[in-house]
Amino acid sequence: MSSKNSILSALSQSALTAHPMPNIEVEVTPQPLVETFAASLVTVAGELHQHGGLAALQAKVDELMAQKLQVLSLVEGVSGNRQVPNTAHELADIDYAILAGELGVAENGAIWVSQTQHRVTPFICENLILALPEKALVANMHQAVNQVSLAQGALGVFVAGPSKTADIEQALVVGAHGACSLQVYLY
Amino acid sequence: MTELYSASGSKVHAHKADIFCRDETRVDWHSKALWLLREKRDRAAASIPEWEQLRQLGSELKLHTLTHLTDYLQQFEQQCQANGIVVHWAKDGQEHNQIVLNILATHQVKRLVKSKSMLTEECHMNPFLEQHGIEVVDTDLGERIIQLANMPPSHIVVPAIHMKKQEVGDLFHQQLGTKKGESDPLYLTRAARAHLREKFLTADAAMTGVNMAIADQGAVVVCTNEGNADMGANLPKLQLHSMGIDKVVPNMDAAGVLLRTLARNATGQPITTYSSFYRGPQQDGEMHVIIVDNGRTEMMKDKILAESLKCIRCGGCLNTCPVYRRSGGYSYNYTIPGPIGIAVGAKEDSTHSIPWACTLCGSCTYVCPTKVPLDKIIAHHRRLKAESKTLPYGKSGYMPLVGRFMASDTMMNTSMSAARLALRVLPGSLLKPFSGAWGKYRELPVAPESSFATWYAKNRSR
Repeated sequence: MSSKNSILSALSQSALTAHPMPNIEVEVTPQPLVETFAASLVTVAGELHQHGGLAALQAKVDELMAQKLQVLSLVEGVSGNRQVPNTAHELADIDYAILAGELGVAENGAIWVSQTQHRVTPFICENLILALPEKALVANMHQAVNQVSLAQGALGVFVAGPSKTADIEQALVVGAHGACSLQVYLY
Repeated sequence: MTELYSASGSKVHAHKADIFCRDETRVDWHSKALWLLREKRDRAAASIPEWEQLRQLGSELKLHTLTHLTDYLQQFEQQCQANGIVVHWAKDGQEHNQIVLNILATHQVKRLVKSKSMLTEECHMNPFLEQHGIEVVDTDLGERIIQLANMPPSHIVVPAIHMKKQEVGDLFHQQLGTKKGESDPLYLTRAARAHLREKFLTADAAMTGVNMAIADQGAVVVCTNEGNADMGANLPKLQLHSMGIDKVVPNMDAAGVLLRTLARNATGQPITTYSSFYRGPQQDGEMHVIIVDNGRTEMMKDKILAESLKCIRCGGCLNTCPVYRRSGGYSYNYTIPGPIGIAVGAKEDSTHSIPWACTLCGSCTYVCPTKVPLDKIIAHHRRLKAESKTLPYGKSGYMPLVGRFMASDTMMNTSMSAARLALRVLPGSLLKPFSGAWGKYRELPVAPESSFATWYAKNRSR
């Protein structure tokens, strides 16, 4: 018997009796979306730019490029000084990656980012900037998981702040293996 | 400390706890560090008005999946295959390790970067792959620390919680060449970042554990704070994910519920920094998922033990456990310590002692995000040990006597009044030796005037 079949046949001897799938209907706590999202983003060590939109983001990018930093932008209407390279490994020296946030979750500050080419982009960059439409904010994860879609071969990720760790004596250190900072521009 | 983790599997819990307790300052520090996590968890839970509803939903959706596991595992496999993911099945740890080795050998992998997976710990995969000439690099900071120190994890979420920063500093000085005497967590973390970045960029393959496998999507979800799983899985062209059969959930809605409770219950964060959904290999890449049984179907044959498979490995039960906090992760004779470690590991413990590493206070069950009835499961393990005549600590000798003694009113009343008298008239130094291990860290009680039965008859019986 194959291992698959032997596992499945062992499962038929389970002592548990069938339990129905619960109805996942959770009431949404009425809270102002932008304010709640802003507060959550602070909790996860991200930084929010609420006003100025994409123009403010481009101004920021210009400032970074003036400091000779390597900026890759995949957001339409915002241009950096680096193009998408042939291999993912060539992204290792990117100082700032500017990516599109597709959906923001107010309850935890998480932002859905999906990536098909060079899926490592949001993680390998030294710093990450996400551009997020204000109308793409939702209250909680129940709403979020219903709205995101996952293409084959894609990586979809909820990003909540910069990478962090507290593995040494529980002292919080921002900047572990992924990006060391996260800025969010609402537009 | 070396004495502790080298004694694996050979000594009873009480003995190992005793070694851990020799350094009282360290025990206090360990206990407080974990209690801090419990407090953060409480604040995070209290910030969600629907918290109890989420626990109930988590419990029911996991129970539902477990009771329809055959269907969901097959659906998951079909969906994965449709997404170009190769699915493997392994009955036990040995088969799992062999499958991994075969995949790696086919691709001539020399270096594997790994993110946290308790399953691969359970299968003892690292030493197996190393024996076959593959360099395995644990990339979670805590896991890397203990890997460099050649120790197993002492906690499932914060694996190096037992180590002080000075010890990490010394270790990094020896192994990574950081400055001698430097123990600042920021400095040490940055040094590990630089050291591991080099490993990520030169790895031939990556492996991660799985937090949830979504049946109707054919996708696996991996949660980390450090971004190590994603740095690994998206640089080399070969990605592997190992999961227990208990990791499947039906759909995105179910994942949404668990993503709300997992991090809040683990560390008090509203969500981990990264919750990544992998639905297929990257361009020109390969993605493999290995589904492992390793004793889980056996556990499901027992109705009470089966519920331990609802666990989502948040570590909340460890942080709240008064025994774990004061006996450390190396006292359990199993890869996973704490209440959940007893629930899933008691069968593996050759000393049969870990079901007694518990006061049955129930705090673990109270904080569990999927309502695993841990105290009930642990009490059940005691029964199973008694039924299989493998009681530890000489219990099979004296417990029948205790039973007979406590069942007899006369014997009980006579001896208790003798004990009250002794406590009043005899010096403590003479009585203390009779209290055994109980009296080691405690003072003898002040004897009450009378028995409860006498007091009740006098005050309340009318």
